[in-house]
Amino acid sequence: MKKNRWYLLGGLLLAVFAGFSFTAFKSSMTPYVSFERAREADRVVQVAGALEKGSSSYVDTRESLFFTLKDPKDSSTLRVRFKGLKPANFEDAVSIVAIGRYDDKAKEFEADKLLVKCPSKYQGAEVRKYS
Amino acid sequence: MDYLSHLYLPGALALWCALIFSLSTMWGYALALSGDAGSLTFARRAYSFFALSIVLTAMMLSLLLMMRDFRVEYVYQYSGLELPVYYQFAAFWAGQKGSFMIWLFWGTLLGLLVRKAAGKSEPAVMVIYTLTLMGLLLILVRENPFVMFGKTPVDGQGLNPLLQDNWMVIHPPIMFIGYAATAIPFAFAMAALWRRDYDGWAARAFPFALGGFLVLGTAILMGGYWAYKTLGWGGYWGWDPVENASLIPWIFGTVLIHGLHMERAQSRYRRANYVFTFLAYISVLYGTFLTRSGVLADFSVHSFVDLGISGWLTLLLGGFLLLGLYLIVTRWKEIPTKPNEDPFLSRGTFMVLATITLLTLALVITAGTSAPLLTRFMTSPSQVGPSFYNRVNLPIALLVAFLLALVPYLAWRGNAWREVAHKLVWPGFFSIIVTIVAAVWRVEDVFHLVFILLASLALATNLQKTVGKLRGPSGLRGAGGYLAHVGVGVILLGVIASAGYDQSTKVTLVQGVPREVDGMTLTFKRFIPRQGREKERMEVEVARAGQQPFNVYPKLFINDRTRQVMVNPDIKSSPFQDLYVSPIDFDPGQPRLQLAKGQSGKIGDMEVRFEGFDLQAEGNAMAAMAAGKEVTIGAVLAVTRSGRTVPLKPLYRLNPASGSVETPPAPLPGGGEVVVSGINATSGAVQLDLSGIPNPAKLSLDVTRKPLIQLVWGGLYIVLFGGVLATVQRLREVRIREKIGQV
Repeated sequence: MKKNRWYLLGGLLLAVFAGFSFTAFKSSMTPYVSFERAREADRVVQVAGALEKGSSSYVDTRESLFFTLKDPKDSSTLRVRFKGLKPANFEDAVSIVAIGRYDDKAKEFEADKLLVKCPSKYQGAEVRKYS
Repeated sequence: MDYLSHLYLPGALALWCALIFSLSTMWGYALALSGDAGSLTFARRAYSFFALSIVLTAMMLSLLLMMRDFRVEYVYQYSGLELPVYYQFAAFWAGQKGSFMIWLFWGTLLGLLVRKAAGKSEPAVMVIYTLTLMGLLLILVRENPFVMFGKTPVDGQGLNPLLQDNWMVIHPPIMFIGYAATAIPFAFAMAALWRRDYDGWAARAFPFALGGFLVLGTAILMGGYWAYKTLGWGGYWGWDPVENASLIPWIFGTVLIHGLHMERAQSRYRRANYVFTFLAYISVLYGTFLTRSGVLADFSVHSFVDLGISGWLTLLLGGFLLLGLYLIVTRWKEIPTKPNEDPFLSRGTFMVLATITLLTLALVITAGTSAPLLTRFMTSPSQVGPSFYNRVNLPIALLVAFLLALVPYLAWRGNAWREVAHKLVWPGFFSIIVTIVAAVWRVEDVFHLVFILLASLALATNLQKTVGKLRGPSGLRGAGGYLAHVGVGVILLGVIASAGYDQSTKVTLVQGVPREVDGMTLTFKRFIPRQGREKERMEVEVARAGQQPFNVYPKLFINDRTRQVMVNPDIKSSPFQDLYVSPIDFDPGQPRLQLAKGQSGKIGDMEVRFEGFDLQAEGNAMAAMAAGKEVTIGAVLAVTRSGRTVPLKPLYRLNPASGSVETPPAPLPGGGEVVVSGINATSGAVQLDLSGIPNPAKLSLDVTRKPLIQLVWGGLYIVLFGGVLATVQRLREVRIREKIGQV
């Protein structure tokens, strides 16, 4: 009898924790969306696009990097602000993923994190032209 | 035949030999299992040849890389003429194929140890173990690393500059030893189930489980150190899928060594340990599937491209999943067990609780890492950010600290509450003092204070027990487990302090002008150009009241080949904190602008806008050009300085006959001159050189103070050292058992 009570308590604790994890999971989820939907969403989302050449600049006074992302499919654009340093292979990126939320007032996408992809150079996509 | 002509045959042959010998090994051991004792020698010899073929294959690939044979696709992709020798060597594991190769290489070599250690269950263990290796081998046969081009490229593409780091030479190969080692306890356990021989495997697998835990832990430590020291990611852990893919097997490995300890000491966990070996191995395969198949391509800082092996990886994962599940489920009822009769306050019960806690931890991290897969079926694929891990792992870490704090005082047979409380007096005193110090320092969050209380309590109780063990009969060797727990306490304290209480400031420094930042005075002194292998550095002086000023040298340089801007932070470590200085941007103050029509640029206190070319500056330029006479083009500029905008038109005169160029300077408002130093007719851009205006170099920095981060590294070292002690102890036990013939 006594033992069962411990099991019950343990099970209850696990259930509470599972619920807690699930809410934490849901609230920190960042879905992939289009630029258009990123502008409407009032949550953290991620967008992907190509860097518009020559659009990036680091502004000292605001301690931020500004650049424009372009959707390769419909060539719509999104102005992005990133509070941080320019990632290593930024200018050569084929695709940039920005995670953050849209700032309605500034009309900018405020990114907390950037992922930079440059597969063409190191993953052998260019190799084909030699063979 | 066309396929063959595109292979580097010596390498490919060695690889195919490996396939044949691995099949022979399986066949030989299968015969031995069916009672033909003579084929044991054959099987052993076949395995030796299998290992030899793999060693040859690896040597061949290594040699091709060293010889810079760019005919071979893999060499072309990851090596280059300018790459220093040790990176040529490290290029081995820069790509997918090479990673599988090094994994297989270690796995095969470890197999030689497994063969020796397996004792009378050698045939069954080796069949399973060779099967795990064949999974990797088949991927390599399919995605052959010896594929060649028809032509010979002049130069390779070079190694990704991010990977050109000393850690690249050492971190990945060690990681793959750890990966390879997880297959060993799995093979022992599955062979035991298969043969229905439930005794003895645990003792034999124990040193391997501990060894794998140690190696994987070392690799994780190195990876964290690499990320922190040179990659400039700002921290040692980012909850990236690739990082998690190594952490999850490590946690399962931790669970496994505790489970094996329970089995050794108490004959408990006899069923659970099969599941733990299974989980540890499957989590490695699952992590590989997640990070190598391209399913997470858009969610990780590490680039992944689908190599076309997703199908194979799925097959590998599914195959071993089914095999393991089948064996566990069908044998479950037969496995001898001992009912749990421990009272609540006993070591046994607490071990069970700790096991559940660690399994939960691994499960939560797995769920987080799999988020893009899990959500794919619900909405748009999503990932979860670090906030998920931080929130969910905090209560788990609290529980871990609590369990760790009490375990040293608990006996297997159980204790009275009073007895434990009595023993807790001194460690409790210590942890309360630590907590008060933390509260006085800066910590206000109640959760964090409880965390610090429990972590320091865990540190203290285990330290007390370690000291006690040192005086015991087996001395230092017997103290491994407790020492490792001391390390966990230290890590927990380091993590909460460095991650929860770091202070980051972003500043822009003008060369030579001191600036107050967070209680320090920072001065950007000079830019140091590249000297040999030493990259471009920035010299920044840091002065603090009452202390000797010192220099830090963060690096910001451009990789010559790829034109990528590379950043290396500089870290000044002191006992209580790290000062982490990472460059953001560098403006060399060069008075040159390149502007397209309509663009404007800033130099010093001046903004220059290029409106366009004036082709009528001195007569019609186009007509002059056609006539072969001197051509004059004006650059129409709008210069803004101290709120006033002035139009300017510096000229560019070209004599097509002599090719001579004349560029008369135009005076700038407020002093200085501007000259058109070049024009680009096709893009319509102009290059302007400005002189006589103040324009000092500027450096933007991210200055972060990370308190007590040393504890994270120090704690991990303690954990690993404790693990080494425990491994030595378990190996001695295996040897003693063999001597007395109890296998």
